[in-house]
Amino acid sequence: MIKFKLNGQAVQADVPGDMPLLWVVRDHFKMKGAKFGCGMGLCGACSMIVDGESTRTCVLPVAAVANRDVTTIEGVGQPEQLSVLQQAWVDESVPQCGYCQSGQLISATALLNKNPNPSDAEIDQAMSGNICRCGTYPRIKQAIKKAAGQPAVNVFDPKGAEA
Amino acid sequence: MNQSTSSSQVLNASRRRFLKQSGMVGGGLVMGVSLSACAATSADNRSETGFRPDAFLHITDKNQFHFYMPRSEMGQGTYTGLTTVLAEDLDVDPANIIIHHASVDEAFINADYGMQVTGGSTSMKLHYRTLRQLGANTKALIIQAAAQSLKVSVDQIRTENGQILVADKAIPYGEFAVLAGTLELAKDAALKPDNAFRYIGKDRPRLDALAKSTGTAKFGIDVDFPGLYRAVLLRCPVAGGTVKQFDATAALAMTGVHKVVKIHNGVAVVAEHYWQAKQALTNLKVEWEKPETLSAFSSDTGKAQFEAAINGDDFDTAFEQGDTDKALKAAAQTVTADYWAPYLAHATMEPMNCTVKIEEGQCEVWVGCQSPQIAQGLAAFYGDVDKDKVKVHSLFLGGGFGRRAASDYVGEAAAIAKESGVPIQLVWSREDDTQHDVYRPASMARFTVGLDKEGNISAWRVRRAGPNIMPYTIDEAVDAVAPAFLPNGMVDWMSKGGYGLFDGWTVDHASVEGLYEDYDASNKDVQHTTVDPGLPLGYWRSVGHSFSAFFKESMMDELAHKTQQDPVAFRLKHVGDNPKLKNVIEVAAKQSGWGQAAKNNRYLGFSAHTSFLAAVAQVAEVSVKNDQITVHKVVCVIDCGKVVNPEIVKAQMESGIIFGLTAALHGEITLEDGVVQQSNFHDYPMLRMPETPEIEVHIINSPNDPTGVGEPGLPPIAGAVANAIYAATGKRLRSLPLTLSS
Repeated sequence: MIKFKLNGQAVQADVPGDMPLLWVVRDHFKMKGAKFGCGMGLCGACSMIVDGESTRTCVLPVAAVANRDVTTIEGVGQPEQLSVLQQAWVDESVPQCGYCQSGQLISATALLNKNPNPSDAEIDQAMSGNICRCGTYPRIKQAIKKAAGQPAVNVFDPKGAEA
Repeated sequence: MNQSTSSSQVLNASRRRFLKQSGMVGGGLVMGVSLSACAATSADNRSETGFRPDAFLHITDKNQFHFYMPRSEMGQGTYTGLTTVLAEDLDVDPANIIIHHASVDEAFINADYGMQVTGGSTSMKLHYRTLRQLGANTKALIIQAAAQSLKVSVDQIRTENGQILVADKAIPYGEFAVLAGTLELAKDAALKPDNAFRYIGKDRPRLDALAKSTGTAKFGIDVDFPGLYRAVLLRCPVAGGTVKQFDATAALAMTGVHKVVKIHNGVAVVAEHYWQAKQALTNLKVEWEKPETLSAFSSDTGKAQFEAAINGDDFDTAFEQGDTDKALKAAAQTVTADYWAPYLAHATMEPMNCTVKIEEGQCEVWVGCQSPQIAQGLAAFYGDVDKDKVKVHSLFLGGGFGRRAASDYVGEAAAIAKESGVPIQLVWSREDDTQHDVYRPASMARFTVGLDKEGNISAWRVRRAGPNIMPYTIDEAVDAVAPAFLPNGMVDWMSKGGYGLFDGWTVDHASVEGLYEDYDASNKDVQHTTVDPGLPLGYWRSVGHSFSAFFKESMMDELAHKTQQDPVAFRLKHVGDNPKLKNVIEVAAKQSGWGQAAKNNRYLGFSAHTSFLAAVAQVAEVSVKNDQITVHKVVCVIDCGKVVNPEIVKAQMESGIIFGLTAALHGEITLEDGVVQQSNFHDYPMLRMPETPEIEVHIINSPNDPTGVGEPGLPPIAGAVANAIYAATGKRLRSLPLTLSS
């Protein structure tokens, strides 16, 4: 039995410890926002925030997150309550096919939480683990800059999710 | 649609057909009609009263507007674009329209292909007029109904965002929907003049952006329901191989494994969870029957087959104009060059997947694909059920790019569901996806171009050697488009009869498109010679143009330099027959600062190409240091006719350029003994953010009807980069991917 916090909620799962976190979240907790892309931690579609860091969960055994904080796209915001970054994503019409965008938003959220005003090079660096086959990179960058420029530093509120 | 048939006739006829299908008889009052005939999800099966003028639109008495989107949304923007054109003449804010992915119905057939498919950048081109007319006619009927029930003349009625405005009252369309359903139009309603547009041509956010920014957009892989098993499939490493024998003992002993089944192209593990199935797969032992031709092919030695064909005498003529032989003999100068482009995989971010449930002769399929109709045919064939018992639920596509025009994964899923006897979701791994794709064909081309004393092209000969896509796609398509009177056995024989049946009918246009059309030359000769190692092929974003534009635009650059002419001026001398292309070339030259001296060792390369009716010119700004190629900026100019959503057109140009840069700088699929050597993003890399150049897009203001934009942004970029590399280094790179280190 592995216990951790998922989007602010204490959860437990009776699954093998070597099962990747991605599949625990998708198949066990039925949260489908994080996506399967490569299974090797190369594309970032599966990204979740683990203790503040954007983490590739398709290769992360669930045992590794025991007693830790995991945030998925569902914990970043909801359609009726968007985070600052999600609003920028909508305003800039960032998504195309949209499949990678949960992972992109997770990496961008982790970036702005740590560095509210990143330079172009810092954005490139923080987002380099996330592939977008549709090529939405210019708009992702634009949206991050737009959100970074706003006074609201918190791009999402993990405590809000807990309440 | 037949041009001579008015839309109102079609509207009335399709409405009658729908009512008939729905079991309704007599007049047009649509009461409690089950929409399951074309509903995409169970949520659509609401029994609401209202007005369903045809397959595409349903207005309920609660003033809800349901649009059954006939084309697939795979990122290219049809979800927003088609809804916008319908909304314009219906006079309803696009954001207030509820959009459904249409299921399979003849009403949704793509007129360019004769089947229900999304591709060839056709969606906006095909639906711009028809959906606007549907909106206009529907609004006219609602106005008629409102006039009748409010006892006013139609002239006293105005409309705004789904409301009938009369005197000082605003009444929702929905209140008149039922009555409107009983009325018929005598003739098509007038369309809005362009200067009255409220939605078309305006920068408006994508309608799917919210769902796709919150993880709530539903893709094929997100389908889940109680009792659903997961399946993974082990295929022969050489495509087309079959199972000789297998041992599943170890796999079956593993936790969660429900069954191991053999299907037409492999052995599948069916388990409770994906992870269990995936682990069990590694314990399968399978002996394969490998296909001979493909097994004998390796890329390093196989290129010689293409070279032999280019040098040989065996070819078909694909296009001929004037007397090229004579013109070449008379030419002041002749320039010859050979070009090469490798096989490529699509690498959509969402790996192929499909969910199938077969119960009591009924089959349900959940899939994101470019042709639900082909999916239906394959599910019927491999699931062994009647086609009319197959219901396809379409979802968002996590990337298409032509990959999901093929439905091989639907056939596999149906076969596994049938053999295992349980509902399954087949999920491909990234390795499956990279190694069992339907690939962009490898191609070689030889140009032999004659120039006169003034440096004008007098003769243009090009020979392309390589495999053709059509034989690999037609077997799936035949099933979908075969006339209903053909017995099933005959359709199966035609469609599953194998590659040879359709070989050699004619030159596959996709093999030569883009090699010869753009520039003037009195004498042109396009030759084709087929070389086919046997690797399965498919449509890859922009298809033949994906290689032909690189070949042709590099050749134009070579010709300009050979004759000491400016590459832009040289192109402009040869576009007399192509004013759209001429214009984008001129605008791109101006916007990019063409002709100025290189700054900071950044050199410009020019390229232009017409594809899918759109003209695009691109200028790449490139620097080269220690053989490393860096693309700093791309200026792109497109003429795609009228623009429905400028931001989406720009986004598609960015998308095409970035997709094309991945191919230009990294893309290469190679084979060894028929086995694809790449497997995942470490050895088949994609462009990432740090490598992405600044992209500046200019859209030509045009009065013409819209073309598509999903593909035309891609073809020019490889040539633009290669030509910039030549400007920077004096080295002419004639092979993709572009590389300077030996």
